[in-house]
Amino acid sequence: MSTSPANTSSNTSPGFSGPGDSGVWFFIIADMCAFAVFFLVFIAGRIANPELYETSRQMLDLRFGLANTLILLTSGAFMAQAARDAQRGLWLKSRQMMIATLITGLPFGVSKAIEWKAKFDHGLSLTTNEFFTYYFVFTGIHFLHFIIGLGVLVVLLQTATDKHKAATTRLRWIEAGGAYWHMVDLLWIVLFAMLYLLRAA
Amino acid sequence: MDNQPTAAVDTRYWRFCILMGPVFVAVFYYCWGVLGHNFPPFAPNTPASEVAGWYRENVNSIRFGMVVAMTFAPAYGVWGYGIAKVLEEVVGKDNILVQLARVGAAWTTITLLIPTSFWLTAAFRPEALPDWMIQMLYDMAWLLIDLAYAVTSVQLFALGAGFLADKRAVPFVPKWLAWYGIWVGFMFILECVMPYFRDGAFARSGILNFWIEFIIWMVWVPVLTIYAFKAVGRIERGE
Repeated sequence: MSTSPANTSSNTSPGFSGPGDSGVWFFIIADMCAFAVFFLVFIAGRIANPELYETSRQMLDLRFGLANTLILLTSGAFMAQAARDAQRGLWLKSRQMMIATLITGLPFGVSKAIEWKAKFDHGLSLTTNEFFTYYFVFTGIHFLHFIIGLGVLVVLLQTATDKHKAATTRLRWIEAGGAYWHMVDLLWIVLFAMLYLLRAA
Repeated sequence: MDNQPTAAVDTRYWRFCILMGPVFVAVFYYCWGVLGHNFPPFAPNTPASEVAGWYRENVNSIRFGMVVAMTFAPAYGVWGYGIAKVLEEVVGKDNILVQLARVGAAWTTITLLIPTSFWLTAAFRPEALPDWMIQMLYDMAWLLIDLAYAVTSVQLFALGAGFLADKRAVPFVPKWLAWYGIWVGFMFILECVMPYFRDGAFARSGILNFWIEFIIWMVWVPVLTIYAFKAVGRIERGE
């Protein structure tokens, strides 16, 4: 196992001392701002029509929401370990942790597909009502983030053990990918609470 | 990667091309947006009689607005080509990202010209057209200009990826702006749900699919222009 230590300062951007890449952090913050607007729009709609939102909320299957939360949190824990291993220069172990991240994260896609199919089978769709518009669009866009995250992880598997890349470069991208994956977790947790748990009336 | 000193680069006309970006935004905003009642647009659930009535009452200002908007639509492409020249100095002339940035700008110009001609058609003889037909032309133009988002995303992604490859100590375009462009390209995907809604946040006039989508793109153009102007100066100095 290669143990060339990467040190904890992975970033080469002037004036930026955090983990990962300053540009990726900008992307993450911009994306979270967009989701913040989504959430505000949802809350405004819920305040205007609490009965509709509550009736619709009760049509969601809490078990899927909970399972998806646990899946993403487990996957996120492996990703955090991958970043820690990379910080210590344990590149092969970091790679193994990212494979675990992928394996434990993939069921989220399966679960989402089953949940959406069940909704369509019950005649619920994007245009059923305002709640389901937001449900399908927000979880759909979140799902797109998840798919992109899987692609990022696949690339990082190669990056982790790429001896042609400097250790600081490898660490920077693993940390940046980890930050993105945690954003996917975080956004889901808010979506789960907002769509499945919060009573509107 | 071509990061060698480039003092010999012929930068004549580059500044003019790059200046066309803000010119496009200003002209298009006023002529297409204000004169054409597209900024903000009529909500999709606006009665056909209201849209048609507005067209008949303001026929000459709409014609003027659309004619000028069509005249200046190529300014976006000219700007895109100017920015692509700067990108050449980062990734090299033959890099496919340069080609994609150019073609994305060119395609975007087409997707601005064609729908603008539909709005102009509605204003050509509105007194002879039934209300529903004017509404249909208005809808058709909006569906095209919004759903053609992907061609602009090609430009946004190519420029973002290309400028991120800049190895200079101080890159021509800061990392955050390159990532911002990529983010805007992704955000455009919200337009996919626009055809399903006649009111609300995802309608063509809604907070998400109009206000946010258009503003984040229209901000990107002048901000990138500022950095491109600085880059041209640096290229001339061989930095």
